Amino acid sequence: MNGQEQPATPGGSGSKDKAVLQNIKELGQISRPQAQEPEVQPFHCLTIIGQIEGHMVLPPRNKTTKYEHVIPQLVAIEQNPKIKGLLVVLNTVGGDIEAGLAIAEMLHTMKTPTVSLVLGGGHSIGAPIAVAADYSLISATATMTIHPIRLSGLVIGVPQTYEYLDKMQERVTRFILEHSRVKADVLREMMFRTGELVRDVGTVLVGEEAVRIGLIDEVGGLGVALSRLAQMIEPDAEGGVQ
Amino acid sequence: MTVLYTIVPLEDVLEGIDDDPAPTMVLKLGGLSLEVEQLDGFQAKVVRLLSTDPEHYLLPHCQPGAVIDLK
Repeated sequence: MNGQEQPATPGGSGSKDKAVLQNIKELGQISRPQAQEPEVQPFHCLTIIGQIEGHMVLPPRNKTTKYEHVIPQLVAIEQNPKIKGLLVVLNTVGGDIEAGLAIAEMLHTMKTPTVSLVLGGGHSIGAPIAVAADYSLISATATMTIHPIRLSGLVIGVPQTYEYLDKMQERVTRFILEHSRVKADVLREMMFRTGELVRDVGTVLVGEEAVRIGLIDEVGGLGVALSRLAQMIEPDAEGGVQ
Repeated sequence: MTVLYTIVPLEDVLEGIDDDPAPTMVLKLGGLSLEVEQLDGFQAKVVRLLSTDPEHYLLPHCQPGAVIDLK
């Protein structure tokens, strides 16, 4: 306890480091259990990577984004007045449909400005998360796979009725349609296109193509994403791309 | 009820699903509870954070996978 009370000892950053070391020694903790760091970065970065894990704990070989951790983080970001914006970096292969939709719904209903950036890949349930942000970006060589749920999907514990899967599918499709400029017939045509995927029907969109059909707003990288966020906070600030 | 919507083949996602998960315990640390998996010696790996304060979820040492020294 006493180690925690003395981070403000005079003598610059060296003594501060010492205080941290002392904390570890005295309290057995790697870092100080203080939620508020003296300086909060204006933008936070949320990475959605690997499989999105929901109700089922996936085997340890999967790299997963844990739903139950991401949701409270979004709440913390939304509540903290010092956090001005959120950058969502997506490199996901898909995952639990309900967990993915929940993250997308949270992002969409946040007042904090959000920008999503698809790097590498934003496949399957990654698509609704990408379009849920206020502004979406994709790097020029990143890919997004649009495909239906039923062929590569898994249903445990419910009758695998066509209607059930159709309803699931409809939720994803509707979310994408409502939050992007893509047309319903274009999206459906891409979803059921044959010949592009080996074991499935669907379409692979690379960078510019995702922008052309209206799924993503712009091709760009980190620089553009950060200047877009800055622009959302202060519309007059320079750094925008027209 | 779980529906997976992914491009990864099912057999790859579910490989090892039948293996028993490592036993976990709840560790009280600085006023918050963490579900941890005991590693060798005096270290534990965070599995999940049990807290209703959203700020706790931004703490680096509470992230799943973080290793905590118990010494």
